[in-house]
Formats: sequence, structure tokens, C-alpha cells
Amino acid sequence: MMMLLLPHREEEEEGGAAGRRRFPINDNADLLAEVLGRLDGRSLAVAGCVCRLWSAVGRREAVWEAVCHRHVAVGRAGAAGGTRSVVAALGGYRRLYRLCIGPALDRLAGVRRQGPAVSSAARHVSLSLALSLFSIDCYERLGGVGGRQQQPPASLLFLCKPVDVS
Amino acid sequence: MKREHQEAAAGGDRRGGGGGNWYAAAEQEKGKALMGTDDGVDELLAALGYKVRSSDMADVAQKLEQLEMAMGSSAAANDDALLAHLAFDTVHYNPSDLSNWVDNILSELNAPPPLPQPPPPPPADDPLSLQFDLPPAVTEQYTIGTVDLPDGSPCKPADVDELQPEASTASSGWLISQSGHQPEVAKSLRDRKRLKVCSSPPSSTITADAATAAAAQQVVIVDSQEAGIRLVHALMACAEAVQKENLKAAGAIVKQISVLAASQGGAMRKVAGYFAEALARRIYRPQPPRGMGCSSTVESAALDDMLHHHFYESCPYLKFAHFTANQAILEAFAGFRRVHVVDFGMRQGLQWPALLQALALRQGGPPSFRLTGIGPPQPDNSDALQEVGWKLAQLAKTIRVDFRYRGFVAASLADLDPYMLLGPEADGGGVEDDEPEVVAVNSILELHRLLARPGALEKVLGTIRAVRPVIVTVVEQEANHNGRAFLDRFTEALHYYSTMFDSLEGGASPPAAVEVGGHDQAMAEIYLGRQIYNVVACEGAERTERHETLPQWRARMSRTGFDSVPIGSNAFKQASMLLALFSGGEGYRVEENDGCLTLGWHTRPLIATSAWRAAGDPLSTSASCRTASS
Repeated sequence: MMMLLLPHREEEEEGGAAGRRRFPINDNADLLAEVLGRLDGRSLAVAGCVCRLWSAVGRREAVWEAVCHRHVAVGRAGAAGGTRSVVAALGGYRRLYRLCIGPALDRLAGVRRQGPAVSSAARHVSLSLALSLFSIDCYERLGGVGGRQQQPPASLLFLCKPVDVS
Repeated sequence: MKREHQEAAAGGDRRGGGGGNWYAAAEQEKGKALMGTDDGVDELLAALGYKVRSSDMADVAQKLEQLEMAMGSSAAANDDALLAHLAFDTVHYNPSDLSNWVDNILSELNAPPPLPQPPPPPPADDPLSLQFDLPPAVTEQYTIGTVDLPDGSPCKPADVDELQPEASTASSGWLISQSGHQPEVAKSLRDRKRLKVCSSPPSSTITADAATAAAAQQVVIVDSQEAGIRLVHALMACAEAVQKENLKAAGAIVKQISVLAASQGGAMRKVAGYFAEALARRIYRPQPPRGMGCSSTVESAALDDMLHHHFYESCPYLKFAHFTANQAILEAFAGFRRVHVVDFGMRQGLQWPALLQALALRQGGPPSFRLTGIGPPQPDNSDALQEVGWKLAQLAKTIRVDFRYRGFVAASLADLDPYMLLGPEADGGGVEDDEPEVVAVNSILELHRLLARPGALEKVLGTIRAVRPVIVTVVEQEANHNGRAFLDRFTEALHYYSTMFDSLEGGASPPAAVEVGGHDQAMAEIYLGRQIYNVVACEGAERTERHETLPQWRARMSRTGFDSVPIGSNAFKQASMLLALFSGGEGYRVEENDGCLTLGWHTRPLIATSAWRAAGDPLSTSASCRTASS
């Protein structure tokens, strides 16, 4: 059981345990989610290894959405609700971070020497760029791109094709 | 026993000379390391590439001493004689057989060098003497190097030490030179004061010592930079011979090119290999009926698609093309509720998921989106176009964009008619007419193929105009591979593909595909190799890779009645961000060129995106006004 010790005044300390206010964070999952949503991706993933509750909360889409938005430069004020549904359809914010935003941030952090023109434009990963890459990834996962994978058997549309029964 | 003897001899005789101490020390080390394993060839030296029998070691050492003396004494030879001699009658010996090599050189040095007439090169004198001094017959394995004329003093140990780092930094600097480069090369030979060591491991002190000080008249020293220059000269000479229809000379040079290319590494070797093979095809089979890559036949359409996909993954050029074209289309579609895109080269449809997503998230909600994809006929009647359409439809369904698709199979774009592209609007049934449907035409690396047949491009541009698009996005390679003269095309292509291959080597692979990065790169190189074959080895209607530069395309488009639409700064920013992600921005450069965007490697633009609309069309001009004001 994790404890958050709130700051207490000196005088109360000699009162012993009665003077301290305990606030177990695990009793309040929403507050935990708020806190976790302020981490960066790597820390959040690490936090998910702490206990089952933290793992479950750390997988919430809302938490990852907060993380994504924190690390991404949102260009124009897009329709936030629309973004949410599109991202959910394409695979979710956690996947978005893992595939597109995380590697991009790592790569940008790794670049030491940048030309003057590049540094201003490319210091942030833009949401639109990340979403474009994400959509391409989702499309490729639909299978059969470049003939490298099998035909996706998931669709029952093959039943629509006429069958020769002669 | 023998080693001690030769150490003593080396140390004694060379006291006045240069690297002798070093040689002795090296020999000592080798002697210590090599106990009782020398019943034939010395193994350590063999590892360096020199075959010297251990029994001969003492003799070889002594002869090397004599050689050094002999060279030191003949320092009187002046520059011109040396270079002239090198130019016409250099004979090359293979130094891997060290004792014979030394014998040969000594015997030649002792006899006065005769300067015979250069054996007349096979029929045409002009190409060889004009371009460079590549001797007509090279039978040895080693490539031709040069030696320069130091100031006659024996090489000090300090010099020899300095040689080592220099040898190891003989980089594969790809010096593409025009034919006028020759005088510079000669001058640089004369100016250099030190010797270049051969490209085998720099610890080959034997060669360094043997060839120190003055005018060796026959030398075999390999320097990869020199060999690089030689390689380029050989390629140009061969191309010129081909242009002059001098196929015998060209055939001889082509063989030398492969030898030279083997001494290079990395991008240079691959490019030279592809060009040499293409030249060989051109020489030995002047009309290849269906050579590889000469024309995209039906059988190779699937292979083409697969290679294209690997090229897409391994370098950012196609991604840049897709992103910039999508941005231009997105801006042109602003405010319209029904949009239609015609894609001239559908392939795997990798451009459209990003556009679908951008339309889904645009302000005001997604429009109703129609896509018409054009593709070449497939060999096994598999409906690749339809499958791509299904996949895009699935994606569109998940992100809730109203999507309709139609695929057209056409062997050539010139077979299309306007009604085909507009047709379904009529048979769509109860389509309300109050919402105009705006059309965008997208062509990624497709228009240049039409230049192979006269009149085809004009017909296609006429078809495009008839469709009345609000924007036409054109992406083409930024190079002139359609000149009249073969030699000009060849030179241009050599520059262009060398830069391309350099960028493949130098650019980092995208983060998600690191494990298959090597595979992608190899396939991308094959993809480019097919283009090289087409540019060099094919002619007429089969030469479909007729790239032209951006100004040339601009002229063509304006002549046919299109106005340029400047690609906005959003596209530039997105492209820059994309480059920063996918390559760390190391060598790639995005530049803006009078409203068009180009992506290049260092200073050379390689691919250009431009956007157009039909001039004087009321619908498209009003659309662009709306875009400008919104």
C-alpha cells in the first residue's frame, strides 16, 4: 500500500501517528491517473510495472492521451473530440505514443547538431505528422501490403463473391 | 637464423636510409610471432596480401635495399618525362608476388627505360588520349595507381609514420569529374610530396619502404581516391566510345571498369557496377528485346511494386513526395464537401491513409471522398487495384470518412479518356448536384514515362485539363536524363545516381524498421539499378525513365495551359519535420524553389514537388481564392 505523506507541522510530530494524515494513493484511481498523466512516456511505462492497479491505470487511454498531448505541439485548434475518435479507431493513444511519438522524441533528442532552419521547425513533433504516420501504420497493418503478408482472412466479404457450384 | 641475418643486413645497410629501422623492427616482431610455421609462404605477410617465401626473405630484403638505392640515385628524372612515361608505357606488376616484383623492377631500373611507342589503342585514338591516360591493356589484378616525385631524399621514418593515417583516411570521396578535370588531376599529382600507400592494411610497410624516394618508373601502388578518379574517367571514356559507336574500345574499357570498381567500397562500387553492367548491355546487345528493367513489362509489374515499396521504406524521397502532395491537396480541398482524387500511379496506395486521416480531422468535418486509382495490368489477373481499394475502404470506415473507390487498369496513361475519370458521377444515381465535386490529380513519378512516345504527354495533359481539376500535384525526379546526346545523359545519370546511392548509405533508417533496414536498402538499390539500366541501355520507346528537371517541367506545364500553385509553408514545415524524424536531418535538405519544394542530399536536389491548376478555369480560380482567404 503506497502512502503519500503530506507535509505536517513540526509540533504535531511528537503526537506520533495520530498527528500524520495518510493518503493512500491507491484508494483513488482517478487521482492516480491524473498524476500518471503528467509523466513522460518512458516513466509511465516504468510506472506500469509497479503493481496491478498502477498497470491498469497506466493503460487507460485518457492517461496516454494526456501524455501525448503534453509532448506534442498541437498546430491548429483541431476538434478535440474528433481527434479522440480517430485515434481510437486507428489503434489508441498508447499505440500512437509507442509507434510514432516516442521514437520521434527519441530521435529529436538524439540529434545534437542541427541546422538553423531545422531546429526551429523540428523541435517539436507535430500532432498532424504523428497522426499521418500512425494512419499509414494502421493501413499497413491491415495486411497484404507489398505482398509480404497473407491475405487477411478476417473479412467475411469473400462470401459476397459468387461461388461456382456447377 | 635467417631472420637475424636479414635484420642485421637491414639494420646495417639502412642506417643511412629511412624506414629501415622500422622495417627491421617489423620483421623482428613477425619473427617472434611466427615460429616454425614457415615452410612456404610467410603467413603474416600472406595475410597482408604479399606472397613471399620465407626462404627468400633474406634475398628479398637485400633486393629491396638495392631498389631503394637505385631509386634514390635516379632522382634526376624530371617531372614531364616521368608523367609522360607513366602516361603511355607504364607496365604494372603484381606486388603480391614480392620477390618477382622486386626482381622485375630492379632489372628494369638497371636497364635504361626504353620509352617505346605506346601500343596503338584499339581503333579510336581520340577517346583515350582525350580523356585520360588509361593504358590499353591491363592484365594484372591491381588497379593503376600513380606515384609522384618526392624531393629525392629517402623517406624518413617520420614520413612513413605519417603515411599510415593518410592511408587509412583514403576515403571513398566520390569525385565526379567532368572531362575537363584531367589537368587538375595531373597537377595534384605533381604537387603531392608524399606517397600514397596501397589500400590494403596500412601496416604494409614493405611497399612503403620499397617505393620511397624518387622516380620509380614502374609502380603498382593502389590508392582508393586515385582509383575512384580513374573509375570515373573510365566510365566517361566508355560512354564516349559508345556514343561514337566505337564498340570494340568500349568493350575493352568496360572490363577495366569492373576491375576498378572492385577496389572501391560502398556506394561507389555499387553505382559503378550498375553503370558498367548497363554499358555492357548496351555494347553487346544493342537492341535488347525485353532486357531487365528496359521496360516495365507485365511480368515485372508485381516486382516493380515490391521494389517500390522497399524504396519507400528505406529512404524519405517518396514519403516527402506523399506528404507534400497531400498537403497541397488538403489545402486545395478546403471548404468543399465532395472531393475526388485521381491517382495516376496507385501501386499500394501508401499516400492516401494520411490524406484520409487529415480529412477526417479537418475543421468542419470530413468531406465525402472519392478515389480513382490507375495502375498497370497485372500478370496473373489478380486485381491488385481492387485489393488496395478494399484496404483503403476499411481504413476509411474505421475513421468514419465516406469513401468510394474505383480502379482503372491502363497500360499507359495516354489510354485514358476524360469521361473515364468523371464517369461514375453520372451513374452514381441520385447524387445531389448542389455540391460540386472538385477533382485533384496526383502524379508521383509517372509523367516522365510519357515522354518516350511523342504526343503522349500532350494527350494526358489535355485529359487532365478536361477533368477541370482544382489542383494537379506533380512529383518528378530532379535530373535531366532526356538529353539528345548519350554522353550527356550518361554524365547526368552518373551524378544523380551516385548522389542517390550516397544518400541511401548515409541516411539513417527509420526507427520502426531498423531490423529490416538492410533488406530494404538492398531492394532500394535494385530499384534504382533498374532505372539506371533503362537510362543507359535502352533507347526509343523502351527508354521510359526520361527524367527532366524542374524548369523543364515548368516550361511544359505552362505551355500546355497550367498555372503554378505555390506550395505553402505548411508543407515545408511538415517536410522538414519529417526529414528530422527519419534521417536526423543529417544530409537531406528541403528547399523551396519558386513555389515548388525539392528534397536533396547535401547540395544536390533529387526530387521535386510542384502543384498546378488549369489556367483561366473559373472553378479552380475561385477555389484557390477561397483557399487564400480562409
